[in-house]
Amino acid sequence: MLEGIGVVRRFGGLTAVNHFDFQVEKGRIVGLIGPNGSGKSTLFNVITGFYPADAGRIVFQGEDITRRKTHEIARLGIGRTFQLVRPLLGMTVLENVATAVLYGRDQEGSMAKARGRALELLRFLRLDEKRDLPASGLVAAERKRLEIARALAIRPSLILLDETFSGLSETEVRESIGLIFKIRNELGITVFLIEHVMKAVMETCEKIIVIHYGVKLAEGPPKEVSRNKAVIDAYLGQKHA
Amino acid sequence: MRDSILELSTEAPRPRVNTSRAGLIAVICLILLASLPLFRPPLFFLSLLISIFLFVSLTESWNLMGGYAGYISLGHVVFFSIGAYTTAVGMNVFGASPFLTAVPGGIIAGAVAAIVGYPVLRLKGAYFSISSLLMAVIFQLVFLNWTFVGGSTGLWYKLMPVSIGANRAIFYEVMLGIALLTTLVVRHVERSKFGAGLITLREDEDVARTIGINTAWLKLKAFILGSFFAGLAGGIYGYYLSFIQPDITFNINTSLLILMMAFFGGCMTWTGPLLGAVLLSLTNQLIVTFIGAEISRILYGLILILLMIFMPNGIVEFLRARRSPR
Repeated sequence: MLEGIGVVRRFGGLTAVNHFDFQVEKGRIVGLIGPNGSGKSTLFNVITGFYPADAGRIVFQGEDITRRKTHEIARLGIGRTFQLVRPLLGMTVLENVATAVLYGRDQEGSMAKARGRALELLRFLRLDEKRDLPASGLVAAERKRLEIARALAIRPSLILLDETFSGLSETEVRESIGLIFKIRNELGITVFLIEHVMKAVMETCEKIIVIHYGVKLAEGPPKEVSRNKAVIDAYLGQKHA
Repeated sequence: MRDSILELSTEAPRPRVNTSRAGLIAVICLILLASLPLFRPPLFFLSLLISIFLFVSLTESWNLMGGYAGYISLGHVVFFSIGAYTTAVGMNVFGASPFLTAVPGGIIAGAVAAIVGYPVLRLKGAYFSISSLLMAVIFQLVFLNWTFVGGSTGLWYKLMPVSIGANRAIFYEVMLGIALLTTLVVRHVERSKFGAGLITLREDEDVARTIGINTAWLKLKAFILGSFFAGLAGGIYGYYLSFIQPDITFNINTSLLILMMAFFGGCMTWTGPLLGAVLLSLTNQLIVTFIGAEISRILYGLILILLMIFMPNGIVEFLRARRSPR
């Protein structure tokens, strides 16, 4: 569904993503993990067109999207969230999501229909009771769900989730794990996620890609990856391995 | 809290009575306003209202970018001036009535906005504002030195062969029409998909792009539309002034006044600029008439400072917050 071939992104002398190959298969939940500063978010920003790739190609559903603009990529069907949540604070919860329905893949022209669809999504994320509150009135966990609702509102076939679990309580993490499965199973959306909360990664992902200094370190099912020596070295340092 | 940008509420419909009553009052007010010249009010009163209509149109059209999208332009006078110069040149060179050339004037203003906006709209925040101010200065210099459009001596319009009373009445009705048209279009934009997109990009331009909004195009569209109305209003108002000159039409004070009116009223809704333009124009006139022109600016400034402190989001938001405390 989504494939990267030799993707490179440099910032001055620093190569944040270095000849990185990856594949996200349709209908799967794929995790991207790696220590801080290893290039995870940079890769997401390259995929969604925020940073142009310096080399390599990104192919989505058979189409080369390497040079496409961010809004075009969204309309092709890639939704995303941000690592630090970015709700549109001056707008209500419903407006946050409804605007995404208007401008997303459906290009919905009717305000009433957009609101109806947005409300459905808010129910899905248990935010419907807060729909008329300004987004600034939500607590952190709700803001994260709002961010997901907004990404789902463009009717994506692939969603990129950037650290959805970080900063959540134990119970909230449990709920979010359920949510990820619901997104895949009920909505049929492929999930590609960046995560630091290992428990969540191990439970949700069917495949994990490990990135370190912009280079792929390992790839495979969670159990395999967690036993991989190179991965343990990268996370804990050689001494402890 | 701001009124919902997406009008309809999903389940419980809003009390319809209120909106239709407000609509009825608005229509009655408009009919009264439109029939005012029949009662032969003093000429200065018509002049004051003509100037208010001009500022309603300029402030509403400015607000498309300045309010909804959050791009504070200090160069709105450029498009106003282009409209005025189009009708003046049309009259002097081609003998065409400004009432016919005002629309082409607006279109030329929109076309110039498209060319200028393409590079300038890449800048954000203060950088955009400063560039728009520089744009106004550059255009003013060009017009001051362009002999075809009169250079620094300016251009005269031929007077309408009617009495001064009839002249005022005609301009009054036309400017009222332009103010009404601008306000209705801006109100429509605010409630449409277009408006929702503009508000989204004001909130966060990156997020706007990730939900599929072509931000560059949306901004350009709003900039062109706002400039069209400024050009249209300028085309007629120049004729009303009967003489235009770059130092008059490109006056930086006009740009500042537009900005103050929008902020004074509140730039989140179409009602804000309308109220701001009307109230600030009236206040200014009252001070000049009853207290004296010498200290009018000082008082005017003082009022503005107080308003900024006590109602930073403008009158509309201030009243709304008091009505429905949250």
